[in-house]
Amino acid sequence: MSTSWGYKKAFGRCACIFLAGIALQFCLGDLNNAFLHYPWSVIAALFFAYALYLIYYLSDKFPGLRKLYDHYACVSALAAMVIMTIFFGSIAQNDEATGFFSKIGFTRMTSSWPFNLILLYFTATLGLGVINDLAHIKHKKWVPVISHLCVFVILTAGIFGSADKKFIELTATLNKPTSTGVVEGTGESYNLPFEMTLKKFTIEEYPPRLRVINMQDRNTSRDFLSIEQAGLSKSFGDWDVKVDQFMLNAMPDSLGFRELTHVGSAPAALVTATNRVTKQSSQGWITSGSFIFEPERLQLTPTEMVSMSPSIPKHYQSDVHIVDAKGKEKDLAIVVNSPAQIDSWQIYQYSYDTERGKYSTISIFECIHDGWYSIVQVALWLLLLVGVMMFFTAGRRRKEDKK
Amino acid sequence: MSWEQLPIISLLSVIFWLCGIFFAFKGKRPGTAVILSAIGTAIFLVFIISMWISLGRPPMRTMGETRLWYSLFLSIIGILLYARFKYHWLLAFSILMAVVFIGVNIFKPEIHDRAIMPALQSAWFVPHVIVYMMAYALLGANVVFVLYLWFRPKKHVITPQELGLCDTLIRIGWAFLTLGMVMGALWAKQAWGDYWSWDPKETWAAATWFSYLLYLHLRQRVKDTDVLFAVSIFSFLLLQMCWWGINYLPSAQGMSVHTY
Repeated sequence: MSTSWGYKKAFGRCACIFLAGIALQFCLGDLNNAFLHYPWSVIAALFFAYALYLIYYLSDKFPGLRKLYDHYACVSALAAMVIMTIFFGSIAQNDEATGFFSKIGFTRMTSSWPFNLILLYFTATLGLGVINDLAHIKHKKWVPVISHLCVFVILTAGIFGSADKKFIELTATLNKPTSTGVVEGTGESYNLPFEMTLKKFTIEEYPPRLRVINMQDRNTSRDFLSIEQAGLSKSFGDWDVKVDQFMLNAMPDSLGFRELTHVGSAPAALVTATNRVTKQSSQGWITSGSFIFEPERLQLTPTEMVSMSPSIPKHYQSDVHIVDAKGKEKDLAIVVNSPAQIDSWQIYQYSYDTERGKYSTISIFECIHDGWYSIVQVALWLLLLVGVMMFFTAGRRRKEDKK
Repeated sequence: MSWEQLPIISLLSVIFWLCGIFFAFKGKRPGTAVILSAIGTAIFLVFIISMWISLGRPPMRTMGETRLWYSLFLSIIGILLYARFKYHWLLAFSILMAVVFIGVNIFKPEIHDRAIMPALQSAWFVPHVIVYMMAYALLGANVVFVLYLWFRPKKHVITPQELGLCDTLIRIGWAFLTLGMVMGALWAKQAWGDYWSWDPKETWAAATWFSYLLYLHLRQRVKDTDVLFAVSIFSFLLLQMCWWGINYLPSAQGMSVHTY
């Protein structure tokens, strides 16, 4: 078989799979993988692996099957993945979209038949390549073999395990035990196999920021003054703004603001703004406000004013008490980037009552159950190691090529 | 040190880099060329480190900050390739690309504040960005080399060593892309609960990764250098799309968590 004919047939196969995907999308609508729940997800994955093994085993008897994992198949499957990712990357992904692209599933990548069929074909080609690698391991270099294997495991887990994941949003109120969350997307109630009590919720914030707003074009100055103490100043266009007084926790009173650490208190600053051109000067209090009082701004001109932006959270943490299904008790601190693990559930710090900010009495968590977690973690860490090895062996490969 | 000092520091680096290139083109004292160029890079590295200290966070959050790392790594790769293979023009083009990206930063200044959102406060942040920038720089150096070979003078016959260097740059660059992708996936699982969400940045990162992988697989059989060069340049264009192009892509507006 000539090289160009080999490529033509392999690319033709990809085109047929793509067209079959379009036809299925038209006939059946979006791909719904909800049926792939445990144990069916594991059964389907094992069946897929067995089918690949069978194809490889039978390829001695039926050489035509080798076309599913030869060089041409590999190159065409990779090219198809490049085209599909460019395609879906260029079209806005939106579940609610309507129109022609939506009808053929191009606005919903993960539930699109053409994309999933091409991905499955790529994974199958890769899987057959892995079996071929393992069958001839003595003549193969182990770095590419392991990298192929890791990518195959990750993709297989992604295809067959995605419906197995449970995403539950849990809202915990201070000192009130709860174990009922809602399923994300559907809003259905879900009983978690543990009970959580929020003991404390804390937020560390960045210093408040002073900006100049132009009300005419609704433009906020890109530049800002980070108010950490009194005495700081900054120029915004023709205006020099100076902070005369600053209180991190303040409450409004008849004279302006007074320092008070209390639920609902907010940062406040007494500022003086002087126009370098007109010599006009204004002084007044500004605050970002809180859930019990409104923000205050200093009017400079009919269109310009000095304002304080709401504080940006630097770090937020929930101290929780958890009782698991076996009655075991744990006190944990949950922060962003550091989820808690309870059996096969992972609990993520998700949000809080943003209106109350640092006085929030609730904390919102995302509880995720991922049955394929361990296998994907092992494959990813192994791939990380393989990536390092590839870096060291790349030069060596060149020397071998030279020989 | 702050962003305001970038023009003067860059000028100092450029002076040393130009001296290095001058000696490289003269061809008599390659050691001096390497040392002078390395001093230019060291000055630039000191600027990045002092920005890191003054900001109180890694300077990797904004597009301009990632350009700093890109310029740094490009100059390092140019120097290393010159030191190893004595391609003086590769040193010159790598430095030229680094200077172009510094120029973009000087003429398009940004506001750099200390704030860093909680999800970015992860041990994965620094290695993820550095590894990706290293990959971008290696693949940038590769594209310079590929363009030189593609539009070479007629009398120049491409040697296996030259093609081998293209392959090595892509292999190492792809290894770094893989590392960056895996680190990103592990970080995403830790911060957002899922490894991969096909957001626009991730989709274009996958396209780039698959495209370079396509080059590596084509390379085993295809001998036509035009095809190989076309695939590597196409892959580099995808990489640019992934890095900054999606910021201008209408379909990606407001849909990515990777906004900077």
